[in-house]
Parts: sequence; structure tokens; C-alpha cells
Amino acid sequence: MFEIDYGDQGLIVFSGRLDAAQCGKAQAFLDAAAAAPREFDFGRLEYISSAGLGVLLKAHKRLMDAGGRLRLINVSNHIHDIFRYSGFDQLFDVERRPD
Amino acid sequence: MTAGDSGLTLEKLQRVLAVTRKLAAPFDLDGILTEVVAAAKDLLNAEGATVWQFHEESAELVLRVASGLRAIHISSDRGIVGECVRTRALINVNDCHGDPRFNPDMDRISGYHTRCMLTLPLVGYDQRLVGVLQVVNRRDGVFDQADEVLAETLAAQCAVALQRMQMTERLLGAEKLRQEIAVAREVQMGTLPKAAPLVAGYDLAGFFRPTDDTGGDTYDFVPTGDGRVFLLMGDATGHGIGPALSAIQVRAMLRLAQRLGAGLDDIFRHINNQLVTDLPEDRFVTAFLGELDPVDHCLRYHSGGQGPLLHFRAVDGSCQFHPPTTFPMGALPLSSMKVPVQLPLAPGDVFALLSDGVYEFHDAQGRQFGEQGVVDVLRSHHDRPMPELLARLLAALDAFGAGAPQLDDVTVVLIRRLSNGNETPGWSVRRSFARSFDSLAAIFTFIGEALAADAASALERHAFEFTVEELFTNMVKYNASSDAHIELELEGSATELIGRICDLDSEPFDVTAAPDADVGQAAEFRRPGGLGLHLIRRLVDCIEYDYSGRRSLITFRKKRGTG
Repeated sequence: MFEIDYGDQGLIVFSGRLDAAQCGKAQAFLDAAAAAPREFDFGRLEYISSAGLGVLLKAHKRLMDAGGRLRLINVSNHIHDIFRYSGFDQLFDVERRPD
Repeated sequence: MTAGDSGLTLEKLQRVLAVTRKLAAPFDLDGILTEVVAAAKDLLNAEGATVWQFHEESAELVLRVASGLRAIHISSDRGIVGECVRTRALINVNDCHGDPRFNPDMDRISGYHTRCMLTLPLVGYDQRLVGVLQVVNRRDGVFDQADEVLAETLAAQCAVALQRMQMTERLLGAEKLRQEIAVAREVQMGTLPKAAPLVAGYDLAGFFRPTDDTGGDTYDFVPTGDGRVFLLMGDATGHGIGPALSAIQVRAMLRLAQRLGAGLDDIFRHINNQLVTDLPEDRFVTAFLGELDPVDHCLRYHSGGQGPLLHFRAVDGSCQFHPPTTFPMGALPLSSMKVPVQLPLAPGDVFALLSDGVYEFHDAQGRQFGEQGVVDVLRSHHDRPMPELLARLLAALDAFGAGAPQLDDVTVVLIRRLSNGNETPGWSVRRSFARSFDSLAAIFTFIGEALAADAASALERHAFEFTVEELFTNMVKYNASSDAHIELELEGSATELIGRICDLDSEPFDVTAAPDADVGQAAEFRRPGGLGLHLIRRLVDCIEYDYSGRRSLITFRKKRGTG
């Protein structure tokens, strides 16, 4: 199960499991956003696959065109490991979930 | 119902039967459509006929045959054909341009004037709609009730023939796709190194097992000609043909760059920047690119999103996991490179590049093999030759998975700096040979050169030649259908000679469990191979068998100076 929706203050909230089968849903939501979204709340995201990283990369490139940079907040430890081991922590601002 | 009651004359019925016979012949789809159109025009004395094929998934009607027109797609919910699709009933219109359901666009496109028209559903044997048949402009007036009966009789025959042909074409299409994927896999597997290169003082091994017919992983060893070697391991996002092409592209760019004499930093940066240009926006390739220098014993590398990178330190048995140095290749352009990481390798150290398919290998309960699983195998077998460590790691993965399906490509590159002589092996050589008796000459040369360099005795040499020939020829004879090469590895130290022969693609046959041949038995009762195995057991001191995946690994040892 994967959900993506608007949260407070323009945040986009991801929850559930973002695997290859769910990337279309995430991509369609982000494509429909009027302004390039710049802050994603991963507090309730349990899992992300490499296809999910592709969705983030695309969002990041869209932001870069507008001079911005993607920021991910409330990232769980094991998803943070994925970013670290894939080098994506060097592309986006990735903030861990406070304990 | 007799032919007379239905308005079908015997002559017309015979003509329908003649068409039916024709339609049963092995046509292609276009042939069937042409035949149906010709039969409809002939039987109904009509100027024209059209077969619309119904595509259920897209709810479209597709026209493949209409004299002089290309395929046309229309929505299946409009016009007279649309109504026919909906009601699945015959529609007979005497004055088309006076009928509000008629779509005059077709006439405008074709320049044709449609006066009257019969529209019939083509319903298959399983009551599914296959298409719609339209017959236009009866030459001597309009279509009457007798024409309707005749058209329905014809349509029933046409529908079944058309459905049979559509199913055949779908099967042929699937088979063609399967063959193309098989070719793509052959190309991809063909780009992998046939054997690890010989690097002075080092032992290397590499392995790739895709999850689909083709996978997105690759690896390569590229010797530079001056003793150094470039090491590549890459993983393009996703599986299937697309990522496989990206993986092949990375490997090809590395090979070309090395031929042009480029250095590590430039190669990494240019491959990255080319991928930024070539890949779709959401695609990337995680890739490790390193350069092993066997003189200063340093591994220099950049790793674009490929991690963790495992360094086993022989001095204290510790395992260090290193993160990637930068983001994945193809994500964003790089204008300059940071200084590469410089990892010194001490004697006995192992550097293991493992794809996430290894760390994330799942069992049936969804548990992962994990870093600890890898560390356990490494700690137990780090001092073995790398092909054996590789085999142990794959065996451990398969044992952990216990038959659970492999979800991701498994790719492994292992590098070990050999120890300084106070530990076996003193030397180690490895080569792979084609599965053919023709390889025997090259095998004997290989054994002869290796043992001569170690001043082995004639008896030792004979024992090794005999044992290898016996095991190799068994592998050729009893597994002739495989294309996989057979790997042979020899090791020597002051105390022991070790041989390993590895069949990468075989059924299990435990040579250590085979019964000893009864050398007193009459020849006709002896099992094939039995005598050879019997003799091997007496020529060498120890023989071991290991089977994992489809890999048979036979290890034999002979103590030095035992004759």
C-alpha cells in the first residue's frame, strides 16, 4: 500500500511502500503539482526501491531547473541507509526522523 | 430448416462451403481478411466489403483491409459499427446518407459513395466479439432478407477463421519476443569476462546471475597492459532489455576509454556525463569504477551510488563497509572529480563488490541475507582461492533462500591480495576451457607449465594430469549439451598441491559418493567412469565435492613428496 498526498505547509507526505509497482502513482501525483514540490515528508514511508529513487531524481531535476533542491524530512534509519548506500544523500538534503 | 426455407439456394450454400474450405487453409491474417472480403462481395453481389477487427483492450475497431486504404482505428462506440458492437445484431441500412447513425467521414476519406450497407457482428466460438463485417452497395439494388441470411452464414464461418488466426498471430508474436530476449541475453552475457585476468600477487573472481532473461547488472576486468587492472561493477535501475542495454553501454564506454589511454577520473566523469545525455530523466546506473595497482597495492576508486563496498582485513579479521563516493552515474553532470578513494590492500585482504541482489537476497519469509550473511562467509573462507570463496558465497545464498525465487540480479566481484608465502597457496593459476575433448591438449600444457614452474615431480604431474583428464572428460561426456566452459585451477605450496575443477552448469554427481569400481568385475558390468574415479582416489590424498546452484566443484589435494 502506498499513499501520497499534500500535508501542512505545502509538504508532500509519502506513506507505505514505494516500490516499482507504485512509482506510476507517485509520478502522476508529482506531475500534477502546479509548482515543483520541494519538501517531502517520509515519516510514514516504510520502503523505497531503486525505481522510487528514480521518481525522486526526476523531482529533483525539476527543482534544479527552478534553482531549487529537494529536501526529504523524517527519513527512517533504514531508508536513510538506502540513500547513503546509493549516494543519493549527496544529491538531496536528507534529514533523519528525530528519535 | 432447409436451404429453400432460409432463402439459401443450394448453389449459394455450396459457395459458402467452398469459402469455408478456403478459410481452413493455413493463411496469414491478411490472407484471411482478403478471402473474407472477396467472398462477401461475390456471394452478396456487392461492390465492397470491409472487415473491422475488434480490439477489446482499447475498445477500438481496426481496419486492416479496405481496397487502397491503410489501417484505420475508430472508437467502437460510434456509428453503425458501434451499434453493431453494442447489440451484436445485424443492421441492414438501405439508405446510408439518410441514416443519422451513418458516419460519412469514411466516404469523404475514400471518395466512395455508400448507398446501402449490411453490418454484421463476427462472433467467435466462445461468444467473444472478433470483429464487424460490413458489406456495401448491392450492385442491383438493396440487401434483402435472403442476403441477410446468406451474410450471417458467411459471417459465422469468417469469425471462427479470423479468431483462430488472431490467436496464432499472438502466439507467434510472443515466440518472436522470447527469441529476441534470448538474443539480448546472449549479447549481454557475451560481454562479461570469460575469466578473471592474471594480476601478479592477486586473485580475482567475478560472477553475474540475472533474475530475468536479461538483467541490469554488469561487471568487467580491464587490464591496462602495465599490470594495473580497471574493475567495473554496475547496476542499471530496473530489469529487462532497457537496463541491460545501459549496462552494456557503460561497459563499452569503459573499454573504449581504456583503449584511448584515459585515466580513472576522466573515465568516470565522461561515462557519467554521457549517461546524463542518454538516459531518461528518472533512470541512473549505480557503478563502481576502480583501478587496482599490484605494485603499490592500492585500490583507487570512484563509486557512483554503488555500495556498500566491503573490505575484509586479514590482519584482524575485521570487515569495513565503505559508502559510495558520489551519486549514481547518469543522475547529474559532473564538471570535475574529487580525488579517488585510495584503499591500501594488505596481504590476505579481500575487497568484495557485491550487488544489492546479494545483500538483499530474500528467503521465503522475506528476511534478507544482509551484511552479516556476507561477513560470515568471508570470515570462514577468505583465505581460499576467490573462485572457491565465490562458490561458497553463492552456496550460502542458495541455502539461505531455500528455494525462494531470486528477485534481483546477483553480481559478485572479489579481489584478494595473496599472502606473502607463509601461507598456502604459494601460487595459484586458473583458466577456463571449452567443454570438448579438443581442450585436452591445452589442459595438459596448462598443467605442465604450472607444475614445471614449481619443480613438481613427474609422479605429481602424472597424478594431476590423470585426475584432471578423468574428471574433465566425465564432465564433457555426461553433460555434453551445456555450452558453459569448465574452469580449472591449480595451487601449490611447499606442503601441498591442490586442483579444483569447476563445472558451472551441471546436474549433481558426487564423485566422492560414487562406489569404488570392482576391478575384478567383468568389463560389461562396470559402471562408466567408475574405474577412473577408483584410480583417482589412489593417486591423490583427498577429494572433495561441492554442489551449489548448477555448479559442481571438485577439489583434490596431494601432499608434496608422497609420490
